[in-house]
Amino acid sequence: MGDLLKVENVTLQFGGVKAITDISLNVKEGEVCAVIGPNGAGKSSMLNVINGVYVPQIGTVTYDGVTRKTISPREAAISGMARTFQNIALFQGMSVLENIMTGRNLFVKSNWMEQGLNIGRARTEERASRLAVEKIISFLQIESIRKTPVAKLPYGLQKRVELGRALVSEPKILLLDEPMSGMNLEEKADMSCFILEINKEQGLTTVMIEHDMGVVMDIADHVIVLDYGKKIGDGTPKEIMANQDVIDAYLGVSH
Amino acid sequence: MIYRETGNFVTDYMRDREIFPMKFDKIMVVLGLLFLYLYVPTTSEYMLSAHVIPILAVGLAVVGLNILTGITGQLSLGSAGFMCVGAFGTFNLMLRLPEWLMSLPVALMISGIFAGLVGVIFGLPAIRIKGFYLLVSTLAAQYFVWWFFNSFTYFINYEASGVVAVPPKMYDYWGIGNFLGIDMQGYSPRYILALTIVIGLTYFAKNLLRSTTGRNFMSVRDRDIAASVMGISVPKTKLLAFFISCFYCGVAGGMYSFLYIGNVDLMIYEVDRSFTILFMLIIGGLGSISGSWLGAIFVYEFPILFTWVGDVIFGGAFNTAVVENVSNMVYGVFIIALLIREPGGFAALWATTKQKLRMWPYPH
Repeated sequence: MGDLLKVENVTLQFGGVKAITDISLNVKEGEVCAVIGPNGAGKSSMLNVINGVYVPQIGTVTYDGVTRKTISPREAAISGMARTFQNIALFQGMSVLENIMTGRNLFVKSNWMEQGLNIGRARTEERASRLAVEKIISFLQIESIRKTPVAKLPYGLQKRVELGRALVSEPKILLLDEPMSGMNLEEKADMSCFILEINKEQGLTTVMIEHDMGVVMDIADHVIVLDYGKKIGDGTPKEIMANQDVIDAYLGVSH
Repeated sequence: MIYRETGNFVTDYMRDREIFPMKFDKIMVVLGLLFLYLYVPTTSEYMLSAHVIPILAVGLAVVGLNILTGITGQLSLGSAGFMCVGAFGTFNLMLRLPEWLMSLPVALMISGIFAGLVGVIFGLPAIRIKGFYLLVSTLAAQYFVWWFFNSFTYFINYEASGVVAVPPKMYDYWGIGNFLGIDMQGYSPRYILALTIVIGLTYFAKNLLRSTTGRNFMSVRDRDIAASVMGISVPKTKLLAFFISCFYCGVAGGMYSFLYIGNVDLMIYEVDRSFTILFMLIIGGLGSISGSWLGAIFVYEFPILFTWVGDVIFGGAFNTAVVENVSNMVYGVFIIALLIREPGGFAALWATTKQKLRMWPYPH
């Protein structure tokens, strides 16, 4: 299978600070790709460059055969990228159901007049969205909390709702920023199951930032290691485990 | 017990999003509408002209501000300015267009659209700025509109005093004159018009809230970056919120001038009215349509009621001005206490009460 996503020579600077220096990476269609690295390595910045939240100074992102220097987050969403955030970015004032329903907004063709009058297309689309959302809700096993305001949910469930919101937009590529941080073992196992199941059933390409090496080595097909904004390793989990640079970055070197 | 939620099972996703899901609620809505349409118009003219119609007009402006501030999270202090556009728009449409073409309801709606467009222009800064900075920019809208109508006297038909009384024949826009003993220029038909507009627009707002547009508004309020990553166009959403909100304010302004005060007067739309509307919104509860109405009714009626009660009890002992001042102070303390106890306003108070009743008598 070909590359769905190709990042070439990207450099991202904030003032004088280089967050990412000349990184290139490829993500094949249908794989689970894990991006790992110590804090401040530029992992989240990398995801933000991919879906257009940050604009890199140098370099291009090729996605789905189209090479672009810049892409707006909205264009990224339209072209089928969905993502979650490291520090959960749910809409706190809304219920679980409403949060996941926002993930369907690109499928809605009716305008605000139709929706305000509650006629025609607005009604049929609302029903269609709800059906799609209910499928995701039952897949993620969160039926019992559908009407709960997300602010009242524990952390693990919020992460799950955020995954649901990303999935319901029927993306081609899923970008997950630390989907398992702050979770206990059981919750991590659940989350891993969800990610693997979607990947295996729908062949959904997933790029995931994760710190838990056990999880990464278990579910990733492809691991990319960043450190201080540079790529220091790229390969299968086995290769990465044997990579001396990676071991040095994680364990330190004696001087 | 008639009023309970158990036993109400929804079998359809569309029924799950109904505004009044319970049968009892539906019956109450029908009875309420019958009351509002059949009984209230027969009450005294004083009741309609001094209490009901102004509350309808101001409440609609609160609903409008709620769409912008409570639901989309864009602070605004321009509400009175947009009401002013609505009032002057209605006046000029009625005055300058031939009688057969323009009637009061149509003029109200069109001037609402004017106000919406003005709102979009002054909402443009919202694309780049948020919070208090936006508050200042909408305050500019308030002062600009005021200056504009003050300077260009064309819009007040060159009236030297700056105040134009609404010609009574404008109320009888279908030229009926006298219908079944009801004077079409009187207060009952005005009330019916105000009520119909208010019910229609409240229903519209409620529908918006439970559909994609409303969810987009709320997502922009809660996390604009996440919203844009979901594919929502944040600038467009904000401007749409400004348009709809200012449309409501414009219609409300037209109603306030034409159906309540009976003259078009710039002095009514000074900045303190913007503040009053904002207070009504905050006391009612940001983000809740029913809260907006509760807030409007409360803020409008409470001082009147309070002064009246104070006058009845202490009227003999102190003079009226003292009683009024003291009741204003008590009223202020009451509002502070309410907002400390329940920052979510009446809407949150109502929700917790409902939750408590649901659990009663076993609170755990």
